Amino acid sequence: MEFQLPEINLQLMAPEIFLFLWALAVMAFDVTTKRKSSSTAGNLALVGLAVTGVIMVFTDQGRGFGNMFFNDSMAVFFKVIFLAAAFMAIGSSFGLTHTRILNHRGEYFGLILLSTVGMMFLASSSELISLYIGLELTTIPLFVLAAFFKDDRKSVEAGIKYLVVGAFSSALLLYGLSFIYGLTGTTDIAQIRSILAHSAVAGFNPAYQESTPIMVMAVLAILGGIGFKLALPPFHQWVPDVYEGAPTPITAFLSVGSKAAGLVAFAKIMIMGLYDLYDPSKAPNDWGILVGVMAAAAMIVGNVLAIRQTNIKRMLAYSSIAHAGYVMVGMLALNSLGLASVGYYMFAYLFTNMGAFAIVALIEDRTGSCEIASYAGLSKTSPFLAISMTIFLLSLTGIPPLAGFFGKFYVFAAAIKMAETGSGLTWIYWLVGVGLVTSVFALYYYANVMRTMYFVETDSPLKVTMSPMAVAVIVIGVVGVVVFGLNPQPIVQFASDMPAALGALLP
Amino acid sequence: MSEYLSVLIFAVTGAAIVLFTFFISKLIRPHNPYPEKGVTYECAEDAIGDSWIRFNPRFYIFALIFVIFDVEVIFLFPWAVAFGELGLFALVEMVIFILILFFGLFYAWKKGVLKWV
Amino acid sequence: MVPISAYLILAAVLFGIGTVGVLISRNVIVMFMSIELMLNAANMVLIAFSRALSIADGHVIVFLVLTVAAAEAAVGLGLIIMIYRNRATINIDRFSLLKW
Repeated sequence: MEFQLPEINLQLMAPEIFLFLWALAVMAFDVTTKRKSSSTAGNLALVGLAVTGVIMVFTDQGRGFGNMFFNDSMAVFFKVIFLAAAFMAIGSSFGLTHTRILNHRGEYFGLILLSTVGMMFLASSSELISLYIGLELTTIPLFVLAAFFKDDRKSVEAGIKYLVVGAFSSALLLYGLSFIYGLTGTTDIAQIRSILAHSAVAGFNPAYQESTPIMVMAVLAILGGIGFKLALPPFHQWVPDVYEGAPTPITAFLSVGSKAAGLVAFAKIMIMGLYDLYDPSKAPNDWGILVGVMAAAAMIVGNVLAIRQTNIKRMLAYSSIAHAGYVMVGMLALNSLGLASVGYYMFAYLFTNMGAFAIVALIEDRTGSCEIASYAGLSKTSPFLAISMTIFLLSLTGIPPLAGFFGKFYVFAAAIKMAETGSGLTWIYWLVGVGLVTSVFALYYYANVMRTMYFVETDSPLKVTMSPMAVAVIVIGVVGVVVFGLNPQPIVQFASDMPAALGALLP
Repeated sequence: MSEYLSVLIFAVTGAAIVLFTFFISKLIRPHNPYPEKGVTYECAEDAIGDSWIRFNPRFYIFALIFVIFDVEVIFLFPWAVAFGELGLFALVEMVIFILILFFGLFYAWKKGVLKWV
Repeated sequence: MVPISAYLILAAVLFGIGTVGVLISRNVIVMFMSIELMLNAANMVLIAFSRALSIADGHVIVFLVLTVAAAEAAVGLGLIIMIYRNRATINIDRFSLLKW
């Protein structure tokens, strides 16, 4: 047997390798020193993320490692989102490390970094094996992080629920992927696509003439697996529980980083790989309308159930389900605007949600409560927090000229443009309609928080002392939301490189 | 879409059959509970003590550390078989892999997991 | 030679048992074992196709899946010990502080 080593291009993978080693170093630092200063491990983690960002600037784009690793513009775009999400999550955890996480700071920060490495690998994978490994490296540290307060029953419960759901969904995903591998005989996503496109009827390998039902089952299993990760109904029940129980910075990281990772996995498998099963005229097994139904359900369920929540973390959890629905509308628009709009949406969502959760974390450190009622009178005692929170909530609602508005605008514009191209695609108009109507519900429950902060009188108003790092995170969030809202062009430019990465795929 | 419809029909039919069987057995089975039916027994003997005894949780922790080195063998074995053809590069790669695993052991050691109290 | 459909049917049965186990079981450890069963069903499919197509990729995936399953089991058992210390039960019905 002749073995041929694939060409190794370590330079392509330099940011991931560095961040991985740095994560180990942070953990080693924590177990070997006697905890001289409480925030050293956190500062080290922040430095590591910043250095990784710098290394990424100098990293080439290209393929390596026998086609398993592909650093394209889509990967770079999402890696920026992952790094920023990790940075802001760590920045908003300094309150926790002073009060509640006294013994395991190294593990806490190290695991966040390891999860980020997993997301970055996922974004660069061009192939089912590395995709699966990246996804698992993303989620397994998050199981531990969700249960990080060992003595808090809610946190441990959240961890175990997340673990069961996460492991179940990745088993489902893997089962689907194994059939894709079997039917096409390759694990390379680009090859999967060309094989599906060129066989006489999309959806089977000539070697297995009868395999179209198997393809349907595979697509269903994959959609189930990714649906769990993205929290699309009917796979959304775990989200509010896990978001409520997990430490708040981890909730923020889950809602942005993990969601973006799920989107990348969806884009890689469904859009790059199984594109030819989307077009209703080409194949009997069209997954587009199924995802459309899931997205519509996400928008309805998320926005309606968020209305009656009294806990702000639970409310933001339901709102994140709704936002997953909006993003999927853009994902279904397979034109050049579609993926770019998804990218812009996630960028806006990054600043908005990380900022909002940073404020929630600050107030939770202070009061130990996440009830919306405890926000009463915030505008009197801390106008800065109240104004920032208002900006974030308005951006989540989608009020111009904030970044969240342009996210929704681009997503819906891309979907309408897609609907105009095909006769079998009128359902996309319905999807956009559902999105617009449910946005009105969203205004109601976000406005409720603002009303509590500004107009509800209370005898014991909050007194919040702010750590400088948390203020920095909130300021980054506000600046991002406002600046990229007033001037969305740079991000749109950056994001619109992505479809080019899909090659001749898009019309 | 018709493909999805057939999957749906399968799912509904399957569920219906199970429910139907439960319903039928509910209809025709005799209903006569008496205390002896609820007694637990082992090999026709009355049970002694509780079946839920506690193991020392340290056993689990050692087992978890064992898992690290257990799984390592999956990767070592194919590497060893093909070692002749792979050459120096694979050796370096495997050394890095094992070093990362040893980091895990080092971490557990530092945390005091390996001490049997 | 055994036809590939036999392996696929066996894998489907295993996967079904695993899925049902996760959905109806009350005990977290049993749920965990069922998830392992699901992963092994996927491994079975990969191996069967890999052999039928004589492409080695499937074997490689199975190695990695086994590793991932071990990591997941390690984390899972750790969490189960933790929740047992907290609650003195591993019955999933009792974990209702957060409405499921």
